[in-house]
Amino acid sequence: MDIISLPQKDIKEGTMEKIKVIHYINQFFAQIGGEEKADIEPMLKEGIVGPGIALKSGLGEDYEIAATVICGDTYFGGNIEKATKTIIEMIRPYKPDLFVAGPAFNAGRYGVACGAIAKAVEKEFNIPVITGMYKENPGADMFKKDIYIIETANSAADMRKAMPKICKLAKKLVNGEEILSPSEEGYLERGIRVNYFNEKRGSDRAVDLILKKVAGEPYETEYPMPVFDRVPPNPAVKDISKVKVAVVTSGGIVPQGNPDRIESSSATKYGIYDITGLNSMTKDKFMTVHGGYDRTFVLENPNLVVPLDVLREMEKEGEIGELANYFIATTGTGTSVGNAKAFGEQFSKKLVADGVGAVILTST
Amino acid sequence: MRLELGKIKINNVQFGEKTEVVKGTLYVNKDEIIKLVLEDDRIISADVELARPGESVRIAPVKDVIEPRVKVSGGGEMFPGSINKVRQVGSGRTHALVGAAVVTCGRIVGFQEGLIDMSGPAAKYTPFSETNNICVVIEPAKGIETHDYEAAGRIAGLKVAAYIGEAGRNTEPDEVVVYETKPILEQVNEYPGLPKIGYVHMLQSQGLLHDTYYYGVDAKLMVPTFMYPTEIMDGAIVSGNCVAPCDKVTTFHHLNNPVIEDLYKRHGKDLNFIGVILTNENVFLADKERSSDMTAKLCEFLGLDGVLITEEGYGNPDTDLMMNCKKVSQKGVKVVLITDEFPGRDGKSQSLADAVEEGDALVSCGNGNVIINFPPMEKVIGTLDFIETMIGGYEGSLKPDGSIEAELQIVIASTIANGYNKLAAKGY
Amino acid sequence: MNYLKDGTYTDVLKKTRDLIHSNYKLLTHPMSGSLKPNQTPYKSVIVTEGCGRIDYESVILIENSMDAAYKFLKFKKTPLWTEKILNDFKTVDLSLIENVIKNPMFNAI
Repeated sequence: MDIISLPQKDIKEGTMEKIKVIHYINQFFAQIGGEEKADIEPMLKEGIVGPGIALKSGLGEDYEIAATVICGDTYFGGNIEKATKTIIEMIRPYKPDLFVAGPAFNAGRYGVACGAIAKAVEKEFNIPVITGMYKENPGADMFKKDIYIIETANSAADMRKAMPKICKLAKKLVNGEEILSPSEEGYLERGIRVNYFNEKRGSDRAVDLILKKVAGEPYETEYPMPVFDRVPPNPAVKDISKVKVAVVTSGGIVPQGNPDRIESSSATKYGIYDITGLNSMTKDKFMTVHGGYDRTFVLENPNLVVPLDVLREMEKEGEIGELANYFIATTGTGTSVGNAKAFGEQFSKKLVADGVGAVILTST
Repeated sequence: MRLELGKIKINNVQFGEKTEVVKGTLYVNKDEIIKLVLEDDRIISADVELARPGESVRIAPVKDVIEPRVKVSGGGEMFPGSINKVRQVGSGRTHALVGAAVVTCGRIVGFQEGLIDMSGPAAKYTPFSETNNICVVIEPAKGIETHDYEAAGRIAGLKVAAYIGEAGRNTEPDEVVVYETKPILEQVNEYPGLPKIGYVHMLQSQGLLHDTYYYGVDAKLMVPTFMYPTEIMDGAIVSGNCVAPCDKVTTFHHLNNPVIEDLYKRHGKDLNFIGVILTNENVFLADKERSSDMTAKLCEFLGLDGVLITEEGYGNPDTDLMMNCKKVSQKGVKVVLITDEFPGRDGKSQSLADAVEEGDALVSCGNGNVIINFPPMEKVIGTLDFIETMIGGYEGSLKPDGSIEAELQIVIASTIANGYNKLAAKGY
Repeated sequence: MNYLKDGTYTDVLKKTRDLIHSNYKLLTHPMSGSLKPNQTPYKSVIVTEGCGRIDYESVILIENSMDAAYKFLKFKKTPLWTEKILNDFKTVDLSLIENVIKNPMFNAI
């Protein structure tokens, strides 16, 4: 009779102890549904769901996906604190060693959710966390400093390429290996400045750089200046008492019930809402869906974000020429610069056509 | 101007009866140095100690570091306008004791000054762990005013460096390097096919402990001007600056300005080094406007194709750096900036206090906020009393066993913003 | 002149910002000197009544300065210095401002 004895630590219900992974995905990747299911609350399923197959395959046999957390993007975006708490407690009993979110590619709300939950999990459990996104995903800018985000292409078609990169870096994090530069490991540059000793001294490198620049050759700076997307303001309005004024807000004010289903973050649309004959924004007619500030006060009094009451008074007193009979709204938080620009380009045409001479922008 | 710089290699320093150089060893007479320093009655006592590379020695708090040099011929004397007559320098022949340095230490104020470790993990961050240092520890007379003490300390250091430099006057140098810049038209015509490159050298000029002197003139009172690169090698520019040890430009660094040296290395090969524009970093915003306008004007007037710009300090000087960058670029002259960074201890915050989009070519001299740990040294020259109040230090920095945990800022010249070091930062 | 007796470095910057929002214009750089915001408890800034509108450059300068100040204070608070050292800081701060006041152009404003 052969007695094969295994080292004590490997005897755990008869199997080798694997590295436990929790995977976070949204309603779409869980194949529950599309946009119409984006409001589902967090749920947990044992084992692998959807793209978890690729994740497991990339991580290898030392890892197991203990459970998958699924949450609707809209629900997460509108209830960040609550959803995060719920999810943290859901995964606590599993004592995970690694947390992988997404990848989210270019899906804005999904990206923000992945970033937020990964950051929270790292803080709570002190385990390696990782996700993947397209560089223009609003979640990338928001969270790249806090967690590793593998750079992916802008659609889920990139899954086959993205997942192996995520797995490779995840394993390094689990093993405590040295993480190299963004270009070597494939993650989005986090904007963290790290010291090192170059072969050449700074003045020498500077001479190389100036000669390239003067010769018109391509050159690379050692420190990218922060990007300024400055829009030069128009000249001041000469006499506002003669001008038609409109309100445009990124504060998420919408009619009760949010008929256009404007997202609470990473908005993909804006709405144009009638205020004819109204002297104040009342809570029975209007609400806020913005996921980035405490809504209590504004739900009670939407004038705090769209100051209709004051503007009507000013209109009556003749301090402004006229108030436009609509306001335009979207949600600013997590909304990509690209989208915001596109919205502005579109609705400013309407504003001009309607004779609006000045716009008051309210943000929060 | 044409200068022959005779480099006398020093690989050891010892006390001796006579101050002289013998086969690479510099001997210094301690008593004569002390006597020289005490000629100024603002100083009540002085001592001299030696520190050599590799020794277990920590020097703190450091005021200035100066390389001993002597003007052998060519008119004028070392450090014109500061300790010697104000005659024009930069021509002829100068000898330098390379590998030696005079380090002044002593408390001017309870902060600012930094440290030098001659060995251990902190040594690699400062060039002065590799020089044979003659440390002059000075004590001010009771009750003298801070401005006076600063001046006294500055002058003492220069006098000692000039005194020791004399030892090199009749010594045969190991190497002679010739530096030459011709008057503008000749210079341009000497290498017509090569890009005309200039150097904009920003001098710290904000007030007490933040000053620099050009031929003895306070840089704060200057308007931007042109300088032949060789003038700096004879001590035309002297440091009165004892702030933020990590990017303090010591007088040693002025004498050995790396941008000037590296531009000369390639002068006539792939570039035509036209000359240096000196400017300042005043606190008064109107002065900044004037200085940056004039700097840009000079760049254009000299017909430069490109310039390197270096600064000293953080915060206020960053604004000057960016103004110069913007205005010079707008004149069609290409700009490369050299500066150090302060992105916070986690490296995640903004590195510079100001920014312009024209600053698209920048060389980094490292992040001064990182925490480093270094062990105690067997010997301390000066005192460790001020470690915790030094910039980069904090409560608890100095451990009971003498080891230190502090920001890199505390090490002299560790992130100096003129590109002298190989330390840099990159984005992760 | 506004002397915030019990104020901190950031209080000075905030007050400066408030004045700038009321059309005051900066005459000196709020981050003068290499004394970092978490080192010196003293900071003097000179502003002047403007010409009836906001000075955009002053706004940018003060905002950048406040950002930088918070960045330093985030990691380390300003220590409680001894009397002697406080005097040193006062001396340097005075020197930075004094040199501006002595500038002939200053009086022309």
